[in-house]
Amino acid sequence: SSSINLLGVSPQDLSYFSGGSSVIKCRDGSKKFDKAKINDDFCDCPGDGTDEPGTSACPNGKFYCGNAGHVPVILYSSRVNDGICDCCDGSDEYDGKIKCSNTCWEAGKMARDRLKNKIKTYNEGVSLRRKEIEQSKLAAAKDEAELSKLKNEEKILKGLVQQLQDRKEQIEKAEEKERVQKENERLQKEKEDKEKKDLEDKESDNNAQDTGYTGGQTTESTDDEHIGVLEDSPPIQDVTVHGKPVDELPHSDDHGEPQSSSKGEEHTAMEEASAVASEPGIETGGKGDGPSDETESLSKEELGRIVGSRWTGKKSDQESVEADSAADDEYHEEQTKNTQDEEYNSYESDTEDEHSTYDDDEAEDHVEDLEEDANEATSSSYKYESDDDTDFTDISGRSNPSWLQKIQRTVRNILQAVNLFKTPVDKSEAARVRKEYDELNAKLSKIQSRVSSLTQKVKHDFGSEKEFYSLYGQCLEMKQNKYVYKVCPFKQASQDEGHSSTRLGSWDKFEDSYRIMRFSNGEKCWNGPDRSLTVRLRCGLKNEISDVDEPSRCEYEALLSTPVLCREERLKELQDKLDLMNKEQPQGRDEL
Amino acid sequence: TVFSWKKEEFRNCNQTPFCKRARSRKPNSCNLIATHVSISDGDLKAFLVPKIQENQEEIQENQESEKREELSSKPLILSLSVYSDGILRLKIDEDPSLDPPKKRFEVPDVIEFEFFEKKLWLDSVDEKDGLNVVYLNSEYEVVLRNDPFEILVRGKDGRNVLSLNSHGLFDFEQLRVKKEGEDWEERWKGHTDRRPYGPQSISFDVSFYDVSFVYGIPEHATSLALKPTRGPGVEDSEPYRLFNLDVFEYLHESPFGLYGSIPFMLGHGTRGTSGFFWLNAAEMQIDVLKEGWDAESSIALPSGQSRIDTFWMSEAGIVDAFFFVGPGPKDVVRQYTSVTGTSALPQLFATGYHQCRWNYRDEEDVQNVDSKFDEHDIPYDVLWLDIEHTDGKKYFTWDRVLFPNPEDMQKSLAAKGRKMVTIVDPHIKRDNSYHIHKEATEKGYYVKDANGNDYDGWCWPGSSSYIDMVNPEIRSWWGDKFSYQEYVGSTPSLYIWNDMNEPSVFNGPEISMPRDALHYGNVEHRELHNAYGYYFHMATSGGLVKRENGNDRPFVLSRAFFPGSQRYGAVWTGDNTAEWEQLRVSVPMVLTLGLTGLSFSGADVGGFFGNPEPELLLRWYQVGAYYPFFRGHAHHDTKRREPWLFGERKTELIREAIHIRYMLLPYFYTLFREANVSGTPVVRPLWMEFPSDEGTFGTDEAFMVGNSILVQGIYTEGAKQVSVYLPGGQSWYDLRTGTAYTGGVTHKLEVSEEAIPAFQRAGTIIPRKDRFRRSSKQMENDPYTLVIALNSSREAEGELYVDDGKSFAFEQGAYIHRRFVFSNGKLTSLDLAPAALGKRQSVTDCTVERIILLGHSSGHKGALVEPSNQKAEVEDGPLMLRPGRSPSVPTIRKPGVRITDDWTIKIL
Repeated sequence: SSSINLLGVSPQDLSYFSGGSSVIKCRDGSKKFDKAKINDDFCDCPGDGTDEPGTSACPNGKFYCGNAGHVPVILYSSRVNDGICDCCDGSDEYDGKIKCSNTCWEAGKMARDRLKNKIKTYNEGVSLRRKEIEQSKLAAAKDEAELSKLKNEEKILKGLVQQLQDRKEQIEKAEEKERVQKENERLQKEKEDKEKKDLEDKESDNNAQDTGYTGGQTTESTDDEHIGVLEDSPPIQDVTVHGKPVDELPHSDDHGEPQSSSKGEEHTAMEEASAVASEPGIETGGKGDGPSDETESLSKEELGRIVGSRWTGKKSDQESVEADSAADDEYHEEQTKNTQDEEYNSYESDTEDEHSTYDDDEAEDHVEDLEEDANEATSSSYKYESDDDTDFTDISGRSNPSWLQKIQRTVRNILQAVNLFKTPVDKSEAARVRKEYDELNAKLSKIQSRVSSLTQKVKHDFGSEKEFYSLYGQCLEMKQNKYVYKVCPFKQASQDEGHSSTRLGSWDKFEDSYRIMRFSNGEKCWNGPDRSLTVRLRCGLKNEISDVDEPSRCEYEALLSTPVLCREERLKELQDKLDLMNKEQPQGRDEL
Repeated sequence: TVFSWKKEEFRNCNQTPFCKRARSRKPNSCNLIATHVSISDGDLKAFLVPKIQENQEEIQENQESEKREELSSKPLILSLSVYSDGILRLKIDEDPSLDPPKKRFEVPDVIEFEFFEKKLWLDSVDEKDGLNVVYLNSEYEVVLRNDPFEILVRGKDGRNVLSLNSHGLFDFEQLRVKKEGEDWEERWKGHTDRRPYGPQSISFDVSFYDVSFVYGIPEHATSLALKPTRGPGVEDSEPYRLFNLDVFEYLHESPFGLYGSIPFMLGHGTRGTSGFFWLNAAEMQIDVLKEGWDAESSIALPSGQSRIDTFWMSEAGIVDAFFFVGPGPKDVVRQYTSVTGTSALPQLFATGYHQCRWNYRDEEDVQNVDSKFDEHDIPYDVLWLDIEHTDGKKYFTWDRVLFPNPEDMQKSLAAKGRKMVTIVDPHIKRDNSYHIHKEATEKGYYVKDANGNDYDGWCWPGSSSYIDMVNPEIRSWWGDKFSYQEYVGSTPSLYIWNDMNEPSVFNGPEISMPRDALHYGNVEHRELHNAYGYYFHMATSGGLVKRENGNDRPFVLSRAFFPGSQRYGAVWTGDNTAEWEQLRVSVPMVLTLGLTGLSFSGADVGGFFGNPEPELLLRWYQVGAYYPFFRGHAHHDTKRREPWLFGERKTELIREAIHIRYMLLPYFYTLFREANVSGTPVVRPLWMEFPSDEGTFGTDEAFMVGNSILVQGIYTEGAKQVSVYLPGGQSWYDLRTGTAYTGGVTHKLEVSEEAIPAFQRAGTIIPRKDRFRRSSKQMENDPYTLVIALNSSREAEGELYVDDGKSFAFEQGAYIHRRFVFSNGKLTSLDLAPAALGKRQSVTDCTVERIILLGHSSGHKGALVEPSNQKAEVEDGPLMLRPGRSPSVPTIRKPGVRITDDWTIKIL
């Protein structure tokens, strides 16, 4: 037992075999074997290969190669003498069938260089990460502060609005009383003047018809109208809050937008559904002779495409685009329309027009709601990006007290000024109450929506040190072939091609200790699953998306480089690894 | 899953005029009689003429209508030829000397050249009482009855074996000139078949005597034993259809025709096996008639014998039929494959595991999947690329964005002994910048439409034309496209997959080519439809042989097939679905293919369409590991399902399933050689090994791999128990536990997810290689394990075939074929190869590292190896080298013998 063959045994395992006993136990305890049977090319420990570290006899064995100059490697023992050089030192191929040259030196140098580069990145990245965390903490604290301030304001404002509302109702009651009185008088008069009334009726009928017509206009024109309003409507009133004018839109119009876009979306979804449905209609065709007629009416080419699409599942892809007829064209039209909407609301225009911040926040909330309702939402997906919290903070935060105090004062004045017991009600005072009520109510709902979007934000999991905080509201883009991929952490991800956008998923969660971001429940694939995106995070000096991939149909993967992932612990591991590699260099060779 | 089979898209029998008409005919409606019986050129020849002609000659002369009748009833020429090994060939065709409008199509290039040499020259016929009797072989004879016309094959003991037209259903529509006002066109779903030659169908009844079931006639997703399609109590069933079709999401349990057609049927019963083969490439429909189907007719056949009647209908062609007398199942398969050829011996790599998906997207994807196999220590041999690897579905091209360096990609696989397969389909993109299209157009190599223009159909690339592979010149041209110069980006480790060769035409009638399309030699597509894919497969395979100057065995997988396809490569069962029932039906489908000569077949593991539950996927791997062709494949809409994607436990179990396949590769390869020599399929119905055990006749959930292993699949979710009938009088040893089970009994077994039940039959010896490598290539030099399962008389035997695994050198004798015999406590290795040709020694240096003795008592001290006179240890060792517990069994440790040598090992 003096010259036992310990090929393939790792240094830390040497002691297992070097005891004085001539009998060794299989590590799994299943058996014992004679020391002479170590590496005798026959498997005595089938469970774990203890006795055959240096041969391929045990399927569950492990082979250790030292790879001096590089890192040691542990192989499945099935790699031993299989005619393929696996260890850079060539120690896994010793039966003479092939010759493996020792490549550890070059390979090791390359590996070390790579490792050094990586360490360099980490070194920088770690400090970037630290800064990131500091900033994140500040930003988070700021948001928290703003939120609590806003909540407070909301409470006060709510009170004021309530007061105004009460007063408004009182006024309205008084006015109603007046109106009834007048009405009675008028009825009296009407009785006397019947002919005149007939004439009036006719006129009002005409009016009604007119309004009916307008109401029945297409979505398109509603959109146009809406866009017109957004662009053209001048600020109704400057609310001087903090020396800066805040442009406001009439309250009703705030709702106008999401409503109209919702119509558009539903429409699109339906068009799409019918476009898809029309095809199986031809394929399956129901029973009897129906389908034959339908297929017969198709051109040979259409038929070919339709039958082929069963296997491919490709409906709206280029292969079928040309062949698809009117229904599909409509669908495309719809898409374009929506895209136009999107463009209007896009990030760029928002930043330019900081005044619309409030409105966009609100609109965004509505869109979000709608999208949760309608799973099939095709476009309008990347409005999320406009999240100008900073602007809002600047506006409301800095000069808030004076703003609120001023309002409180105004309301008090109004309330005092209006004399309720005076009849008839003073028209101008009533109007002032109404106006003030409308304005404050609008303001309130804006604050509320801001509160809700902030609440939404802060409830996210931003990592143990809130290190991902600044990624909120950011979108990372990457162009790959014909597609632009947009990844907006905590929000959603999409794949855009020209004007059309495909939602790959909504934010789901972090996985694998914040090394993976999951976006799920994206648009449904024809004949496949809902789209989803898995983003793997890695250390890098910039926030950058890369390597978007679709390993399974409609299941996307991407890489995101970010300093946030440059963790100190990992840096240390890399450092240790490099030290180890340097230490194991063969003697007499100096890398530098 | 979605019920997506588009039934209404395909014609049923009632919508198929020839089938409807034939099926409505009453028994005994045939009025033909045989006349002028003679022996000529070693064959028995006769005319078939209507009986009416003979009896009413005078009356007929003056009747115009009868005269017209006479025109269409010109005598048919019948010939019977006899070949050695009990094969009868019957041909019936029109008389060419009477100037028929067109020569009817006889399928060329199917019958083996060697078969013609086996012809026995008849020199006499015994005529007695209107029966003409000729010799078939020492035990059988053939009878031609004149009136009514009937062919009968019977034993000299007087028992019938097979007969044709015993029920008078024979009908032969002769070609004729179109009468005025007659409409021959057939319309289907907006397609018009002009049928310029009019009705030309043939139908007849064939009876199998003394059989319990009939089998064969693939391809149908149905049971192994064919269920009756007509007769008392049979619900309105379609006949078994033989018409090569690309069926989207086919259903199990259906007589509907799928991708390939082999009009070969076997009958089997306790008294023996027989077979009938009709070489005809037109659409065929076959009824299996249930006893009592002809109750209304008063024909009483000579009985005392049980019988299954069948009814065969074809749209065109001639009668070119072969009768096989058996008497055993292997005899019938041998007789059939002597006509159509035995399976080509595949390269060793092709018998390993294949990993496919529609699609491995790009080079990075390929590299990733490849390295994951290594990472998880799962062997595989071939990575496949589906249609998306091409530039716009132009075969022989690469999408250079996704695959910029195809040679490097193949080389990096080849460095680990792995191969790549790319797809090449018969539809050629009509794109003037595509060299194949340009050449084919210029040379006139495309199939023509009814107007004589290049047929323009629709498939993956869009507008496409189809190479006319029936022409040998065109096949040769096509074969040249596989040379490394012409197929740019191909390397010697690249092999080919032929898909869509039914042919599939998305906008054609029944998703295929119009029947009135024209092929080389003015052959209508209707006449050769079922053989189109066969010729394509043949041409591709020929190209691969040529590419390496005949030094490398080709590997070509085809979806369509026809009799003889076995000579050109493997087939698979097409686009199946990830459902338990489809896993179940894959077994009878593969067994049926084996029975009809196509040994090298398998189903897509996991199911092509849909996403298998991990349990189903695992069960599929466990069964699939025993398919002759073992490939995982998936549709591009499905989730990734490579073996490591379902958690550690599932990965471990799938790895084990694949390991079992690799462990058994020496056994499988030996079986492939057996199929190559004798036609006996690699996987077999139980009754092929136990022909007199009636309990096995209807079984198709369990199957034999060779003669030594019985496998029982698990086809239900969450199965805890399964019943397995283990046939024969000997015991069976569980492959993994070594536990012995009594034969001839149905056992109720506990099952776990770990494995499906599999048993080694007592009395057999199985050669294994137990070291698991990355691919079969690295196993070449690994030592063998022999597993000896002793029968009740403490005996066992087995075989091992070894060659270089890739070239044709085996045809010159460069192989090793050993026979291992264990008896009287001694194992002997004998040479089975014919007298040494000297090349053998170079084949392998492999030794035997372990000999396992099942059913042998423990406690032996050692073994003596002769002639070396060395002693080897005998100890208790594991039955299988796998993690976890493996039972200990007596094992001879390192006997040190070479596999090429003669030796004996005596247990002391």
